[in-house]
Amino acid sequence: MPESEAPEFGRLVERLEEIVRRLEAEDLDLDEALKLFEEGVERLRDARQRLARAEATVKKVLRVEDLDR
Amino acid sequence: MVGPVDLFAAASAEGAWTVGEVTRRARAVIEAGLPPLWVRGEVSGFKAWRSGHWYFTLRDATAQLRCVMFARENRRLPAAPAEGMQVFVFGRPTVWEDKGELRLTVLELLSTEQGGLWQLAFEKAKAALTRDGLLAPGRKRPLPRYPRRIAVITSPDGAAWRDIAAVVGRRWPPPLAELLLVPAQVQGDGAEDSLCAALGRLGRLPGGAVDVAIVGRGGGSKEDLWTFNSERVARAVAVAAVPVVSAVGHETDVTLCDLVADLRAPTPSGAAEAVTPDRQEVEEALDRLAQRLARSLTLRAQRAVDRLERTGDRLTAAIEGRLERAGAQLAAYGARLDALSPLKVLARGYAVARDARGAVLKRVTQLPAGLAFRLRVSDGEVPARVAES
Repeated sequence: MPESEAPEFGRLVERLEEIVRRLEAEDLDLDEALKLFEEGVERLRDARQRLARAEATVKKVLRVEDLDR
Repeated sequence: MVGPVDLFAAASAEGAWTVGEVTRRARAVIEAGLPPLWVRGEVSGFKAWRSGHWYFTLRDATAQLRCVMFARENRRLPAAPAEGMQVFVFGRPTVWEDKGELRLTVLELLSTEQGGLWQLAFEKAKAALTRDGLLAPGRKRPLPRYPRRIAVITSPDGAAWRDIAAVVGRRWPPPLAELLLVPAQVQGDGAEDSLCAALGRLGRLPGGAVDVAIVGRGGGSKEDLWTFNSERVARAVAVAAVPVVSAVGHETDVTLCDLVADLRAPTPSGAAEAVTPDRQEVEEALDRLAQRLARSLTLRAQRAVDRLERTGDRLTAAIEGRLERAGAQLAAYGARLDALSPLKVLARGYAVARDARGAVLKRVTQLPAGLAFRLRVSDGEVPARVAES
């Protein structure tokens, strides 16, 4: 089964939520906190890009017979 | 002249009818005299043969009528009538020559009971599914929050597919999620096989794993929707490889598939909404996360500054405290020293006797009569001489 290289949207959002939770609640030292923050910004940007790229029409609709070939 | 009367003339081989002739004649008379008609009565002694033909007796208080309904006709019905059921049948009266019996060849059968045969079939299938635990709410699987591939089992020409595609296109289109149409026949002969085949393939669709499936069709009559009440199709939904959302007909139509599915949607559009997140709402949720992210760092910085300030205060307080205590101690020493100071002693009235060299004379033996010495008092010095004793 083909795996996509980038993490799927769901995992992105989960990781983002985890990062925010940790930054708000845990007593991290500055170094760790900054690293997490940077990762959070990255993930946020990625997620927003994916939403923006989504097209308004369902172009890639496949019929099962097409794929059977 | 007339011979003797032959009493048995009618019974002779040439004059008598054969049994076959009688029954054949009776059949002709019946078929000519009684056109196809509707008959009402109670079903009794029902038996379905392996050939598919049904044999039963229709009775009322005073009489009974043997009936047969051939497979070709009874196949259209959702279920066989139950023993004792009140029915209306439409059939052709005839004589079954083999058995010499009056018989009704049934072409249509309707039950007069609530919901009729449809209800009966539904209840039987539902009971079987319930017994196997397939209707249990605990079996229902949750739908994925962000689906990647959605399979839709429906007719490619129907409104259901168009509605689903439109809603998904609006809410969660590619590349966020891919929509895969699995065409199937949704009514009539062959629909049951078609749907079961499609449902069975959900775990093996080409192109990658599917996370959720919608099975459905638009509105229609009870007959049109009947395939979705098939026990076979319902079982296929129950054991599908992925969570299934059932969307059959309109809001008020509830089929066995609806009961067995992981989620029932009132319409195909409703199903599409149920399986996809709303892009708008997700954007807003991301905005809120972004705010929390930004604030978390500011919060953290603020907390750190607060902590430093508090520590600085404590440090200052500590130092000031020590200084104060040191000062107090010094003052105390100073006071004690002061009290011990010779000057203070002199001020109290004591005098110091010193010889010419300045050595202090402390003893009487150091002060013989006539000795000249100097006497120091609080504010100065005077010459002195020890008096004669």
